[in-house]
Amino acid sequence: MEPLIRMVGITKTFPGVKALDNISFDILPGEVHVLIGENGAGKSTLMKILSGVYQPTSGQIICNGHEYSALTTKTSAEEGIAVVYQELSVINELSILENLFVGKLPTTKRLGIPVVDYKTMMEKAKIVLEQVGLRHDPNTLVGELAIPDKQLCEIAKALVSGAKVIVLDEPTTSLTTSEVERLHGLIRELKAQGCGIVYISHKMKELHQIGDRITVLKDGGYVGTYSVNEVTLDDLIRLMVGREIKGTYFADESAEELQKRPVIFEAKGITRADGACRDISFQLHEGEILGFAGLVGAGRTEAMEAIFGAVPKKAGQVFLRGKELKITEPYAAIKQGLGMLTEDRRKLGFAKNFTCKQNISLEPYIKESTAGGLGGMLDEGKEQKWAAEQISALSVKCTGPDQMTVNLSGGNQQKVILGKWMAAGSEVLIFDEPTKGIDVGSKSEIYVLMRRLAKAGKGVLMISSEQTELLSVCDRIAVFHNGELKAVLEGKKATEEEIVKISTGE
Amino acid sequence: MSEKNNQKKFDFATYWQRFGTISILLLLLVVLAIAKPSSVFSANSIPQILRQSAVNILLALGEFFAILLGYIDLSISAACGLTGMVAALLMRAGSPWVLACILGVLCGTLIGAVNGFLINRTGLHPFIITLGMQTIYFGLMLVISNSSSVYGFPAGFSGFMNATVAGILPVGAIIALVAACILWFFTTKTKAGRNLYALGGNREAAWYSGINVHRHQMLVYMISGTCAGLAGIVLTGRLNAAAPTAGTGYETYAIAATIIGGTSFFGGVGKIPGVVAGGLIIGIINYGMTVLMIDASMQKVVMGALIIIAVTLDHFVSKSSRK
Repeated sequence: MEPLIRMVGITKTFPGVKALDNISFDILPGEVHVLIGENGAGKSTLMKILSGVYQPTSGQIICNGHEYSALTTKTSAEEGIAVVYQELSVINELSILENLFVGKLPTTKRLGIPVVDYKTMMEKAKIVLEQVGLRHDPNTLVGELAIPDKQLCEIAKALVSGAKVIVLDEPTTSLTTSEVERLHGLIRELKAQGCGIVYISHKMKELHQIGDRITVLKDGGYVGTYSVNEVTLDDLIRLMVGREIKGTYFADESAEELQKRPVIFEAKGITRADGACRDISFQLHEGEILGFAGLVGAGRTEAMEAIFGAVPKKAGQVFLRGKELKITEPYAAIKQGLGMLTEDRRKLGFAKNFTCKQNISLEPYIKESTAGGLGGMLDEGKEQKWAAEQISALSVKCTGPDQMTVNLSGGNQQKVILGKWMAAGSEVLIFDEPTKGIDVGSKSEIYVLMRRLAKAGKGVLMISSEQTELLSVCDRIAVFHNGELKAVLEGKKATEEEIVKISTGE
Repeated sequence: MSEKNNQKKFDFATYWQRFGTISILLLLLVVLAIAKPSSVFSANSIPQILRQSAVNILLALGEFFAILLGYIDLSISAACGLTGMVAALLMRAGSPWVLACILGVLCGTLIGAVNGFLINRTGLHPFIITLGMQTIYFGLMLVISNSSSVYGFPAGFSGFMNATVAGILPVGAIIALVAACILWFFTTKTKAGRNLYALGGNREAAWYSGINVHRHQMLVYMISGTCAGLAGIVLTGRLNAAAPTAGTGYETYAIAATIIGGTSFFGGVGKIPGVVAGGLIIGIINYGMTVLMIDASMQKVVMGALIIIAVTLDHFVSKSSRK
């Protein structure tokens, strides 16, 4: 059978990284081709090349007999490729009908003036909406639809534009079991009509229910393409994981010894008002680093935000050295000795209009302030001292305390952020993806710093989506799935396979 | 050769950030001195300019804090008019003028607190809230004044407000300068002041850093309201009357003064001395057009154009400095 689309030898490099290395991928009519791999394996990059968002550095894309060295978003759409992203791109303020035709509204002439042809739109819309099983009035605003219905709307939009290849990026993340079944029914129908479906999912169980072929990517490289019947789940997990671990940063003590030491920090039954995490409990012992593994959205960051007071919690208690903390907002958490290094450094980590000195002194100032953060004077001498101490202790590479933080490299920005919590003398630090977007050298520096903090009696919690990182730094690893803490593994003994199995709900 | 070029390369963005405001100020004075020398080189000119500028400076000081957060306060003009009217009515009712003035200013603080409360509670953009409140305050002013001007104040008040210290410093200008000094101290020496810059730079990051957004927003709008209250008293004193439409359009001047004074419309950047200079610039433009006999309506055209030029420059400068 002639493939609908063939991608041959696709390589994509970004400054400093090879995101994809010589990947080949094709889609046959009437098949569901599953694409799997860990975070950062290159799935999204490959799909962005298919949809024309990125242009490959080298390689070829062949569709309908046309050969391209790169697609643009326009040629991609013309060749019948449509991508339904996890973050849906429907426009809430428009009706279902208008969403289906957005950017290509049919027109008709009235008195010589072109006007939108709602009649034609409605006729076409009824057919595709029937097909995808979206039974709302086409004039309903999309904002009023539930997430699964928005997804159907997006698939209908792809069909209206005559898409032959539909990419579904983690389509079932926010769906219930019956909604997943409905979606799978639709996918089978589309298959029968000769569409090719690319299905990206972290839910390993689904792959055998819906997939025909499976392609595995790892670290931007091509591992292989397999027929669903010839591989087991265990095979797939083994193919996905297995990155090399370079160096370890564990505590000198054994896990048993660490368990006997006093508990520094404890969370009990943390449940968020929005249900993003439920009944999360864990203990952190002196000298250990506790890691948090799981898929994005599994509730790790969500639990930490609730602990830190950034997002309201419905239930749960937090203890520091046995004393319960009253936390209603980050200010209260900081006053009582917590600190959080957020995942999104640029957006949440530091004030971009501040110098290194000003950013570093922000937290010690807050810690010492009165009247809910409004009271207290600045002290130039202390500021200078805090900044100088942290810049030298963390060896921040900057021209001086007065350099703007925003002009530093990612690793050094992270050190400035760490510096402000150290200057504030925080007792427990939450690191959320501390090495995301940081070069390899700075990564190991950050691990060493974290271990030094743990040794000095500070509490260190680390969220990471890189299993190898967790397996080389954390003494214990708490694994999350779907808003709950499912298991706590011993860092030295755990394997990537175990973590993947638990975090994907196997 | 090329190295030399690099060193000497004129960096407009840096120049503008440092000296933009003061350059405009000097340029205006030069233009005025050429056009009509007597308007600059006479004993009366400086007090006249300062008197014209005092209200602008006070309102700009308040507006500065809202803009520092990346927000805006459109209600200051109405707050200024309303507080002036409250003080005027109190004086007419026989209240001692000092007490009437203090109550007038506190009325401004209260107005700011109401704005802050509504902004915090509704979570709506302050543009909407303060636009609505502006209309309400202007309406209230008409109601309490019965839509007519109030005048005939105690001699003590009129004498004090129109006095000039050392021959060049009108009392209104002294009030504005004292307020500016206090707020300059506040922004550069207190934690709350520093926190406002962090909030203006990045609200969400500030929240994660332990800065309570609501408390600081409340503080900002109370400062803004208090400045409007002071401006109201100074305005009533200068005109020796409180008109039921006093203050109309002043928020535009305040925004213009703040932006011309080097405050970034995107939040997080700005200094009090710049704002004072901005207020002076507005005062000089008004004064200059008056002495040059330019039609009063034309003044609005110039002011509008100035705002657009200032914001465009600001946009251009912050874009190039972000690179």
